[in-house]
Amino acid sequence: MRAIYLIARREYLSYVATWGFWLSLLSVPVFLVVGAAIPVLVESSQPTRYYVVIDETGEGYDALVQAGVERERRERARAALEAMAMTRPEAARTQALERFDEAATPEAGLDAGFEALGMEAAPAGLAAGSGNRMRVEPPAATPEALRPWLTGERTVSTPEGERPLFGALVIRRGSETPLSLTWYSTNLTDNAIAQDARRVLEDELQEELLRSEGLSEARIAALDQLQPEMRSVDPSVEAGGEREVTGADRVPFVLSIALAFILWASVFSVANMLLTSLIEEKGGKIIEVLLSTARFHEILIGKLAGVACVSFTLFAVWGVVGSVVATAGGTALASFDPEMAELLSGIVKPGLFAAALCYFIVGYLMFGAIFLALGSLCETLQDAQSLMSPIILVLMAPLIILSFAMQSMDSAFVAMASWVPLWTPFLMMARLPTEPPLWEIAGTTLLMLATMVGVLWGATAVFRQGALSQANVDSVKRWFRLGKTG
Amino acid sequence: MSEFALEVRSVSKTFGTKPAVKSVSFGARTGEITGFLGPNGAGKTTTLRMALGIIAPDSGSVRLFGAEPTARAFDRVGFLPEERGVYRKMTARQIITLFGRLKGMPARQARTRALELLERFSLGDAADKKIKELSKGMAQKVQILSAIVHQPDFIILDEPFSGLDPVNQGVLEAMIREQADAGATILFSTHVMQHAERLCDRIVLMARGEKVFDGRVEEALAVVPRQVDLGVDPGQELTALLSPFGAVSRAGTDSEGMAIWRVVLNGKSTPQDLLKACVDAGIALSRFEPLRPHLHDAFVQLVSDPADTLAERA
Repeated sequence: MRAIYLIARREYLSYVATWGFWLSLLSVPVFLVVGAAIPVLVESSQPTRYYVVIDETGEGYDALVQAGVERERRERARAALEAMAMTRPEAARTQALERFDEAATPEAGLDAGFEALGMEAAPAGLAAGSGNRMRVEPPAATPEALRPWLTGERTVSTPEGERPLFGALVIRRGSETPLSLTWYSTNLTDNAIAQDARRVLEDELQEELLRSEGLSEARIAALDQLQPEMRSVDPSVEAGGEREVTGADRVPFVLSIALAFILWASVFSVANMLLTSLIEEKGGKIIEVLLSTARFHEILIGKLAGVACVSFTLFAVWGVVGSVVATAGGTALASFDPEMAELLSGIVKPGLFAAALCYFIVGYLMFGAIFLALGSLCETLQDAQSLMSPIILVLMAPLIILSFAMQSMDSAFVAMASWVPLWTPFLMMARLPTEPPLWEIAGTTLLMLATMVGVLWGATAVFRQGALSQANVDSVKRWFRLGKTG
Repeated sequence: MSEFALEVRSVSKTFGTKPAVKSVSFGARTGEITGFLGPNGAGKTTTLRMALGIIAPDSGSVRLFGAEPTARAFDRVGFLPEERGVYRKMTARQIITLFGRLKGMPARQARTRALELLERFSLGDAADKKIKELSKGMAQKVQILSAIVHQPDFIILDEPFSGLDPVNQGVLEAMIREQADAGATILFSTHVMQHAERLCDRIVLMARGEKVFDGRVEEALAVVPRQVDLGVDPGQELTALLSPFGAVSRAGTDSEGMAIWRVVLNGKSTPQDLLKACVDAGIALSRFEPLRPHLHDAFVQLVSDPADTLAERA
């Protein structure tokens, strides 16, 4: 045990003391924080886009566009609020939304709704449903006359002072359609204002047509609401009753697949770390020196344990930082991606994380031992690459299966593939929320554990040969040739 | 205390179809320095690995300190392998401390002892330098110190002098003597016969996987036929006179222009017989020099003649 501990400790410290480790450690949380902050940063740093609407029909479509855009903004802000309130009791959630609806009238604006909820300044993201836009009075009556403003030669008066004009939307009567919209802007990528206007006017045109057919306003409003009600129900949730499936109910499925992918990436990268370290030791003739003080199995287990501790350190730090970021950044994220916010609200699944940890340990031990054994036969990374190719293919297979079977983790093929011990950690991880039979979980686990023991035993034997240079890459080639001729 | 720190009894090892060690037996006597000699491929490293339990013999047995080897017994052994390598990113002190701890020393004691050894062997300034910042010779010294940091009772050194410059070879020789004086048993393999000759009390000679000699250094030297150099006038012919005593040859001329004849004495003749024959024949000798045999000659003699069962003679 002493040798195992000391070898593991040395291995652990050799990684922890490197810049690469700290970069890996910091890069993920930094990426998380930056990733979460980017939408807010982009949204908040975007300048207000001033635009004009010229209604050449003279029938008040410009006012309709303005009202429709405001309505859409309010609906998006409301959806974001609803998502944020997911963690609150249902009564409190309903009450908060009612207060928002009462206050945020088209006349009072969105800010009034947020103030009513005690959110003094409406969070930029929540208010910015479709970006910061403001309609201003057109400084000229025709697109041709607007050209100096649209090209930036002249500016328009805004509450912020003189600003460039972002674009102009011109509404005309169409030759083949009732209305035509033309968007003038030097920004060729962002035509969201025109798209929003098109949606609003499309609704308006349909309503106009219905009016011309003699339908009352009430009938038109009723037609607007005509759509089948869609509900997903999990019959197993409550005996004698039923409960609608929410995003939170789908979290385990998404989470388990995500964990399976993370598991795969972790096992692969950690096993690679082992391989690289061993080849460095082999090349530096350090293995022979270590053998003077420790037994083969002690070196093998020590190295595996040391690198596993490196992984656990990374996972622990990332887990803590991830939880903090998810909690602290939840509010901001909710405004941009309510569905993701809903998923986040149900992401804490200790059972799945415990399973992932167990599968990681077994998967790591199997692949780590294989990588160590093969690494012991190699003097250089080039040698290792030729030996690793078949192992990489074996390791890639579950990834490919996962990619194709995301929607059908309960398929018979995936179930059968789960019985391949080297694939079990990844595929069973992804399948767990589909509640496979207990015998299947137990069977695949037992087979996987037996394989792990066999792999460790075989790896020690190969490691013994390789570490003492009694076998190398050429030996493996010879074994295969013998196999072919025999 | 056991008579032998290490006893190897009839160990054999075959790799594939190639026998590497064939029923070898020898012992390293407690308190003595034993040289383990042999040409490349003689089976020395394989034998040492079996002695240390790194690989298991196909047959035969090994005893350490008079008993079956145990983990505790192996902790009393210091081993310097033939392959040289240390962690390049660790400091000299860290490496020596690590190996001390691997051999069971408490952390604090290992650190103190590491620093003490580094100071004593002129590496005090390099204690906290990474190995990659040190010269090759200094790195080798660190590795050697790692083998003795735990003050082992038995030290096995596999080709300890290879790669060291003459100055450091001298330092290592002194270190080996110091360890032996302190009571450690030492077994070391080498190709350099001068080191063995200077250091060893006994030698074990291996060739083609077999032991060909096991005995004291003087006994090994005794197997070398004695040689005598004679200096005479260049015009003188001695072949006929000296042939009865052994093989006669011209070995050149000395600085004064005298002819040097070398006689490799046969087993029945002595230098005295040769001198008497010359005096009786009225030969004027400018030189009569019985040559001192060297271990190198014994090595060549023993290794090049497999038919000769010199081990028995020894």
